[in-house]
Amino acid sequence: MAETIAFGIIAACMLGSGLLAVTSKKLVHSVLWLAATLVSTAALYVALAAPFLAAMQIVLYTGGVVTLMLFGVMLTDQAHDVGAANLSGKRLPAVLLGLLLFGLLAAAIQRTSLPPIVEAPPASTVELGKVLLLDHVVAFEALSVLLLATMIGAIVLARRNDVQD
Amino acid sequence: MPTSAYLLLGAALFCMGVFGVLTRRNAIGVLIGVELMTNAVNLNLIALSRANGHLTGQAFALFSLALTVAEVIVGLAIVLLLYRSHRSVLTDSAVEMKG
Amino acid sequence: MNIASPITLAAVAVMAPLATFLIIGLIAPLRRSGKPAAWVGILGATTSTVAAALLVVDGRSDILIADWLGAGGKFFASIGFQVDGISASMLLVVSLVAWCVQVFSLGYMSDETPAGLGRYYTWHSLFLFSMNGLVMSPNALQLFLCWELVGLASYLLIGFYFRKPSAGRAAVKAFWITKLADIGLGAGLVALYVLTAKASPDGLGSFDWSPQVAQAIGTGGATVVAGLFFVAVMGKSAQFPLHIWLPDAMEGPTPVSALLHAATMVAAGVYLVVRAYPLFQAAPDVLLFMTYLGAWTAIFAAVIATVQTDIKKVLAYSTCSQLGYMVSGLGAGSLFGGYFHLFTHAGFKALLFLGAGALIHAVHSNELTDMGGLWRKMKLSGTAFILGALALAGVPGLAGFFSKDTILEALHASGQTVPWLMLLLAAGLTAFYMTRVVALALFGKPGHHTEHAHEAPASMLIPVLLLAVTAVGAGYMGGPLAKMVGAEYAFHWSMTGIIATSLGLLGIAAGWAIYGARIVTAEQLAVFAPIGNFIRASAVDRSAAWVYRNAMLGLGSGIAWFDRYVVDGVMNLTAWLAMSGGQQLRTFQSGRAGDYVYAVLVGVVLLVAAGLWNA
Repeated sequence: MAETIAFGIIAACMLGSGLLAVTSKKLVHSVLWLAATLVSTAALYVALAAPFLAAMQIVLYTGGVVTLMLFGVMLTDQAHDVGAANLSGKRLPAVLLGLLLFGLLAAAIQRTSLPPIVEAPPASTVELGKVLLLDHVVAFEALSVLLLATMIGAIVLARRNDVQD
Repeated sequence: MPTSAYLLLGAALFCMGVFGVLTRRNAIGVLIGVELMTNAVNLNLIALSRANGHLTGQAFALFSLALTVAEVIVGLAIVLLLYRSHRSVLTDSAVEMKG
Repeated sequence: MNIASPITLAAVAVMAPLATFLIIGLIAPLRRSGKPAAWVGILGATTSTVAAALLVVDGRSDILIADWLGAGGKFFASIGFQVDGISASMLLVVSLVAWCVQVFSLGYMSDETPAGLGRYYTWHSLFLFSMNGLVMSPNALQLFLCWELVGLASYLLIGFYFRKPSAGRAAVKAFWITKLADIGLGAGLVALYVLTAKASPDGLGSFDWSPQVAQAIGTGGATVVAGLFFVAVMGKSAQFPLHIWLPDAMEGPTPVSALLHAATMVAAGVYLVVRAYPLFQAAPDVLLFMTYLGAWTAIFAAVIATVQTDIKKVLAYSTCSQLGYMVSGLGAGSLFGGYFHLFTHAGFKALLFLGAGALIHAVHSNELTDMGGLWRKMKLSGTAFILGALALAGVPGLAGFFSKDTILEALHASGQTVPWLMLLLAAGLTAFYMTRVVALALFGKPGHHTEHAHEAPASMLIPVLLLAVTAVGAGYMGGPLAKMVGAEYAFHWSMTGIIATSLGLLGIAAGWAIYGARIVTAEQLAVFAPIGNFIRASAVDRSAAWVYRNAMLGLGSGIAWFDRYVVDGVMNLTAWLAMSGGQQLRTFQSGRAGDYVYAVLVGVVLLVAAGLWNA
């Protein structure tokens, strides 16, 4: 029972802050609400026996991505006049499309017979590391190349053209 | 909690992301919508990983996490570039591909 | 002798020039450096020659065939090396002549820029690779591939002085005429494959030329295949009327002429007949045609050779004529006769071309009248040239005598009197025009440049003298060569031999009387000039031009009309449809990212709905 209550509170937090993240008029608020959503999701990860991922979620998203987005907002100087320009007029079709999609997905989830949850102790980081570095080592290495490419790409893209070397 | 509860939650979050992507004109706003969507996907992955009782789903979620970070970095770099060339980060302002 | 397996040696002989081609061709600084590139090329040729010599000494036969162009467990074709007496001896001839030519070129091409010299040796290596691959072919398909490569390499070599328009034209002419003839080889391959496929139980054809294949496809099939093959032989081995490219090809550097037009490229046609001889033997009609056409070419080209003033043109027509001998001999059923003459001719004709190259190098002119009296200045190369001329003229004891005699004997034995008489006459004419060349170029009235002429440098002398040895000695190799080919040969005097020798000596005497001792002056012979003019090369050229102007251009304009109005019409309609369709569709492309996202999400919703519907 206590678990259900906890799940309900976290889910409500997540959905509420998610909704605010996509509807806030001010972009900075949106980013902050996004951070709140991500933290709530991290809490759900803990409940789903994935503490390492919860930690990663907080470190990477709230520590990295959200900060980066705030920088982006400030660098592009949109913090003050996001009001009118932030949301477009076509809200109704977007709402309808979103609801339609949710309906379809919910129907799909209801019709799928899911296995019951295996109650297991939280997966240890050691085990996750083994899965990553033994079963998926190629993907892991490919990912490292991708991150390097991202780093170089971001530098190339964001560098000012008039600054030569 | 049953797995379907997590999946429904993920679906709801995903649809919010869709709504954000569709309604935001600001490029950073669109990125926020995308973040919500990938977050929903990760939630699904982890929930199903637990339902199936092995860790591959978690490993996949970790990859997805890293990919999202990469995407945000490049996306923001592009937003900066857009801002520099158009003095604006509204997606409407970049219509060079109009046929 | 058991150094390496025959297949290994064959592979070395074929691959060494390929390696040098790649090394010189791909390493640009080496190629542009000239002399070092030349040495690399010569190294490749040396390797080939040594491997070929070991192969001949080894004497074993072997075959390596690798499946090629496979599909579904069945193989369409095969490539590999076939080592036997014929291919081993031919490999030695080709490699040795190529080696001589490459060494000779060191001296002859010394005025060339380093980059030009590098290019020259690149093409030489490519040529040697293609030719060796051709010689080693175990079936007609590989031979065809190498045949085309040889054509390409010869085009590049003939057109080496590509800044000279006439050289460019000559290269193009040689290329197109041989390509035209090559259609025959391509069509012959298709016919061979289809016919063997029809005859074999598993419905899989082959490109083999074995007696079994000839038996399987029967006389009718063999006639089609051999006939088509012979069209290609006519082009490559310069048989009438497709010989017209050969004299023009003299625009290339003289060593190239020695390589292409003495031992290798033109001999490829004869070699094809030798290899595919089982097929030809099964087609008596084709053989008969070959006998007559070869004899006609032999006498026709010999007549033209008597009136040429360019030393290389004389040799070019002489080559046509001698190839006619080979073709005629093969047609008369003497595989060994044709091949023996190919073998000896390669030696002394390469010698003549290289000797002519030495003379040309000394006076910087091809004209016989500009030479004259060179013998006093160039005793060694002059002597070698005279030896080559005597060998070609059929003087007893020298190479040409034995092989020509074998062919004439074969014709006599087969009872074909007309070609036999034509070839006898051609033998007399051969002796005559070679004496004329020797008398005019080496003795005769000194020309403008004779005073400044010098003996050729060592790099040119060594190959010339080496080939002079073959011009003398190759005739005595008849016995061993016959054993390698699988025939019997022992020289003995016969009626034919005596007649041919007498005619040859008569030709020499007449030539010397007119051009050397001047007992009868050329002016007194001017009454015969109209005959000479009539059968001059230009007559054939002109008729080729007529055919070109009328038939080819007519056909061409017809095709052009079809192309302009039908093919272009269809293309324009397609283009119009695409354009107007694009105009309609472009309105969908707003260029705004949001619209595209909408489209994507509508698509996602539809996909999920479809998935649910089917579930």
